[in-house]
This record gives sequence, C-alpha cells and structure tokens, in this order.
Amino acid sequence: MSDGREERKEQEERRKWEEERKDPDRHQGDRDRDWEREGERERRDSLAANAAVRAESGRRTRRSFLVAAAAAAGGYGFYRWIDRSPGDQLIPRPLRKMLNFNAKVARGVFDERGLAPTYPVSKSMELRTNGNYGLKMDLVPESYRLQMVGVENANRYPQYVDDVTEWEYKYAEKRDAGPVLHDTKVAPKDEARVDPNSDAGAGEGPMMQGGPASTMVAGGGEKKLETKMSPAFETAFAELKMAQGKKRPRGQEDAGMSDNTLDPGTPGLLLTMEDVMSLPHQELVTEFKCIEGWSQVVHWGGYRLADLIAKYPPERKPDGSVPEYVYMETPDGDYYCGFSLRACKHPQSLLATKMAGRPLTPWHGAPIRLHIPIKYGYKQIKRIALIAYTDMQPDDYWTKLGYDWYAGL
Amino acid sequence: MEASGQVEPVTLIAGAAEEKVETAPEALLDAAKEPATRNVVADSAMVAAVAVVPESAGVVAATEGETKKPGAAATIRLEKKHPLAIRWMHWVNFPVLFTMVWSGLLIYWNDSDNAYQHPHAVYRVGVGSLTLVRMFPPWFWKAIHAPYRVTEGLGYHFFFMWLFAINGILYVPYLLISGEWRLLVPERRSIKDAIQVTLVDLHLRKGLPPQKKYNGAQRIAYSAVVLMGLGSLVTGLSIYKPTQVHWVTTLLGGYEMARWEHFWLTMGFCAFFVVHVVQVVLAGWNNFRSMVSGHEIVPAATATLEEERSAR
Repeated sequence: MSDGREERKEQEERRKWEEERKDPDRHQGDRDRDWEREGERERRDSLAANAAVRAESGRRTRRSFLVAAAAAAGGYGFYRWIDRSPGDQLIPRPLRKMLNFNAKVARGVFDERGLAPTYPVSKSMELRTNGNYGLKMDLVPESYRLQMVGVENANRYPQYVDDVTEWEYKYAEKRDAGPVLHDTKVAPKDEARVDPNSDAGAGEGPMMQGGPASTMVAGGGEKKLETKMSPAFETAFAELKMAQGKKRPRGQEDAGMSDNTLDPGTPGLLLTMEDVMSLPHQELVTEFKCIEGWSQVVHWGGYRLADLIAKYPPERKPDGSVPEYVYMETPDGDYYCGFSLRACKHPQSLLATKMAGRPLTPWHGAPIRLHIPIKYGYKQIKRIALIAYTDMQPDDYWTKLGYDWYAGL
Repeated sequence: MEASGQVEPVTLIAGAAEEKVETAPEALLDAAKEPATRNVVADSAMVAAVAVVPESAGVVAATEGETKKPGAAATIRLEKKHPLAIRWMHWVNFPVLFTMVWSGLLIYWNDSDNAYQHPHAVYRVGVGSLTLVRMFPPWFWKAIHAPYRVTEGLGYHFFFMWLFAINGILYVPYLLISGEWRLLVPERRSIKDAIQVTLVDLHLRKGLPPQKKYNGAQRIAYSAVVLMGLGSLVTGLSIYKPTQVHWVTTLLGGYEMARWEHFWLTMGFCAFFVVHVVQVVLAGWNNFRSMVSGHEIVPAATATLEEERSAR
C-alpha cells in the first residue's frame, strides 16, 4: 500500500493527538471512548463471540505456559548438569571442555601470530609482584643452570650431561621475602590462619593492621603430612626419597607436584647464564595482563625464546615431526607452566633478564623469567630452571587449580 | 453498523484488506446467520478466525459491516504481537544474560582487592584521582558470595558467551527478514514521543501519543539494548583477545578502557532490566502474556500489526 492513504491516516491521527495535547480536558480521546462504548456493546451483543476469543486465548496461553515451563525446567537442568558435573582440574568438566574448545577456536582464528602493541618506555612502570611460588628460598646465583631436555643431538653439545636432575641448586639463608603482596586467584587453604581478605576488601585485614602481607608467604616451607599413609605407600615414598637423595620434595604449593617433573636419569643440557646471554639482546615495552583483571605497561629486556629454540632445536620424532609442546619449571618444581612450541616461537616471547632497565630482582624471578605477551601473567613463569620439549600437553600450575591451560590473549 | 466509533477503523482496515475478503471463514458467516447454534459454532469460527490472523482482523471487521446483525461478531480479537522466534530469543536471553552478569561479577571481584595496595582503578565512580564509589562495597561482595570463585566465573563466562553471541546474531537477521525491525527501529518522531511517554509515566503530563506495537520510548530502549549487546560482544572480545585483536582494543581506547566500557554496558543492562520489569508489571497481564503466548487481546477495530511488518 503505497498510495499514501495510510500516511494521510497517520497524519490525521497525529493531528488529533496534537490537538488533544493542547486541550488537556479533552485528552482522553476517541480511542478511550471507543473502548467504553465497545465495553457497553460487548455486554449487550457480543458476549458469546468475545467469550470464544477469550477461550481461544486461554487455550493458547495454557499451551504456551506449558512449553515455557518445560523450557525453563530444561534450562535449569542444563545449568545443574554443568554445575554438578565431575570436576576436571577443579572446574566442572563441561566448563573445562569449553575452555579447550575456545582455545582451539582461538588457535584456528588467530594462530598465535598477532603482535602485542608496544609502548614508549616513558609509559612503563614497575611491575607489581603477585605470587612467589618457586621463589621462597633465595637462589645462590652461581648455582644457577638452565636445564634443557629434548634437544636434538644433545650429546654433541659441550653442556650435555647424562642426568640433569643431578644438578643441585643452592639456596641462601632467606633474608627478605621481597614485597610480595596478596594474590586473590585462590582461596587461602589454611583455615586456621586469618585470611587478610576476609573482610572482602574493606581494608581492615591484618596486613593493614601490620600483620602478614600475604596469605601465601607464611604458608611456605615443608608441609607436614598429617594423614596416615598405607605401609605400601610408605615404602614407595621412602624409596622415592632415597632416589631423590637429600633433596627437598618438589611441588610444595597448592597445585602439588607436576606430572612433568623429570625422572632421575634424564639426559639434557645444563646451560649457564653466559650461554643464554650469547643470544642477541632484545628490549620490549608491552602491557602485562593479569587474569585478576589488572594490567601494567612494563619495559622488558632479555633474549628471544625463539632464538634459544633455534640454537637448541627440539629432537625430531621418528616420523620427522617436531614435539608440539614446551614445559618450564622453577628449580624447586613448585611452579610450572606448559606452552605450545608455536607460542614459544612467537617473536615477542622473551626470556627476560631485565625489567625497567635494571636486572631482575629475585622476587620478579631472577635470573631468568618469561615474558610472553600473548598469554596472561600466570604463564609468565619466574626463575626458569627447566625448558623441556615434549609431545604431550604439559602440566600447568594454575590449570590444576581451575584456570585455562591456553590462557591466550 | 451499530457504533459510529467503529466506522473509521473499519474503513482503515478495509483499505488494507479489500483483496483479502474472499478468504473470510465461511463458518463465521454461518454463525452470524444462525444465532441459535451460535455458541457452538462461534467457538470453531473463532478458532478458524484466529488461526488466520492477521488476515482475519480485516475480515472480521468487514463481515460485521456486511451482516448488519448485532451480536454476531466479537468486539475483541487476538493480535499476533510477538513472533515465536522473538519470544524464544527473548526468554533465552534472560537466563543467559543473567549468567553473564553473575559470572562477570565473580571475575570482577578478583580486581577489587581493596584491602591491599591495589584497589582497582577501573570500576569506580569518580573524576581523576577523586573516587566517590568503588564497585562494589565489601558487603556486596560478601552478600553475593563472590570471593575466591574466579575460576567458576571464568568458566561460566567463556561458556555462556557463545549462547549470548549466537542468540544476538540470530536476532538481528530475524528482525530484518521478518520485517519486525519496522516496529522496533526508532522513527523520526520517536525522540519526541519518548519524551512525552516518559513524562506521562512520571505523571508529569497527560496524553499518550498514538502508537502501534511500541511507543517511541520502547523503540529507543529496545533498539539501544540490542546495540548494547553488540557493544558487550565487541568490548568483551577486545578484553578476551587484546593481543590478537589489539586494533579493536586500541579503537576502544585501550585495554583498561575496554574493561571500563564492558563494565558500564553491564550496568546499563541492569538498569534496563529494572525499568523493563517495572514497566511490564505496570502494563499488566495481557501485555506480559503476549511475550509468552505471542497473542494479545485487542479491540477488534485496532489495525493489525502485520501491515506495519510488511513493507509499505
């Protein structure tokens, strides 16, 4: 209908409405009077017909509400199914599967190739410290070696040893924990200790009253096994202890020991700082993003992980392909991260030795930490002692505690 | 015809429905001729009539005019107000958006560590270094049991984001194809109407402007909320993959700005929700039911919405 009749009709209606507005006494227009009159007439004339309309409406309403109730029940059931599903590394399995699916989509769409924006140095700031897993004892710098496992023709390098796990990292008497602050990623485990955040952020926690700065700092050191072990397990545990010598047990934090911790007798390379520093030096100013929600622009200095990988390439499998993953760990095995080889080869993935133009401080992960701007901060492992090529998706500290393994930005 | 008030709408509809008269359900005519059996037949007549809504709207009015027999036809009819697809998408969106807001809060808590040295800089009301309120006060976090549930929040957020996105991505093409957008997108006069509607709702003025499916305020609000949904998807993506889509993040003013925008869009949804629910309660059962069953009982004389849906 484009003959303008309707338009004229609409204009007419509008004109009437405008008039009514000017004359507030008459504002209850024809429309309302129509209704009244119709109501009157309905009573007299159209009772039955209108009842039929209402009956039809009721029939449709009942049917629709039944469908709606079924749909609501279905929706609630769907939620319950997710919520009650058995856990997969501390989150319900459907959620874990979806995180993995999302990672697959992100890899397919972006291929981990995008470059993070860089900033002028003047915009950078000191990175806040957040978490000290694997850093609780001061490492003696001279005892530092970077273990590399799975390198092609490893025994041809002068740094080759038959068993990299034999290397002993030495720790100094702890003097200063560094300004380690509270970390909100997990709930404090020790119920007996006061949670500095138990006031949910009111600023009245013990730290503000001069108490401990973090729920994490005080929890370090050896934990006593209070549960009674079965005799068989006790024997096995004693044997494991013997095999480890007098070493401190690995995996002393919430997430426990990594499945990828090296077995005794693993051959590999023991690189010195000089070996790493022979790579070309790079500087980068990027935005560091924490899964907690905060972000800071930081000035990094160090060596491209890609350059290290090029210098010490992974051993090929019998079919000629290269292992897909890289596993990294702190000297004590308390903190560990897994990556795809592709992410490690990203041009901005940096083995950082400097921050803000100065050498890394111990609490930021001296002598070497990772900066990888295509991942969240929890993947940017501090004090790296081991880089291992592997063919299975490696364990990851925060993944075990319910976070995404991929963590790609 | 009996009522003079009826005359105008009849001609209005007749113009649109002239060529549809031959589809008049014969049962209805029979019912008109046989008042004795009216009750029984009228039932089936109405079933037939409403089954062919919208055509029947014009038909009923035209039939009334022809039979000239009082009491034959209904003075009310069922208007097909909300198409099935829109009702489903509307109700699917409700729990999905709720889950997104709830899981988002669990994530936001993580950056609200005010007890320590890093009270968040993003979710607050303030100018420069002056902060009036930080979102949210401690009692709020405690009340909703948010502390230390970040992994749960992230898990649900990155699950239901797909449902939210798919629902929205289906909704917009549906609006375009069905013609429903004509009832939804603001017109030139919508702003003026919206002001008037708001003033009437606040009891400051009287006299509602004429409307069809939605008034000016509704057109603006319902279109805005769709754009807000798009905004949430875009800002969400720019927070989710700030390196891979860094150009989007940069366009939005950077990572922190994108988080700020994402947060305030969510606050916008919450505000919309409150106003929407209040208005639905005030509008009453007939209106609410139409979002479930799709049909609203309207005076037989009102113009069918189908004309507005189909291209003019």
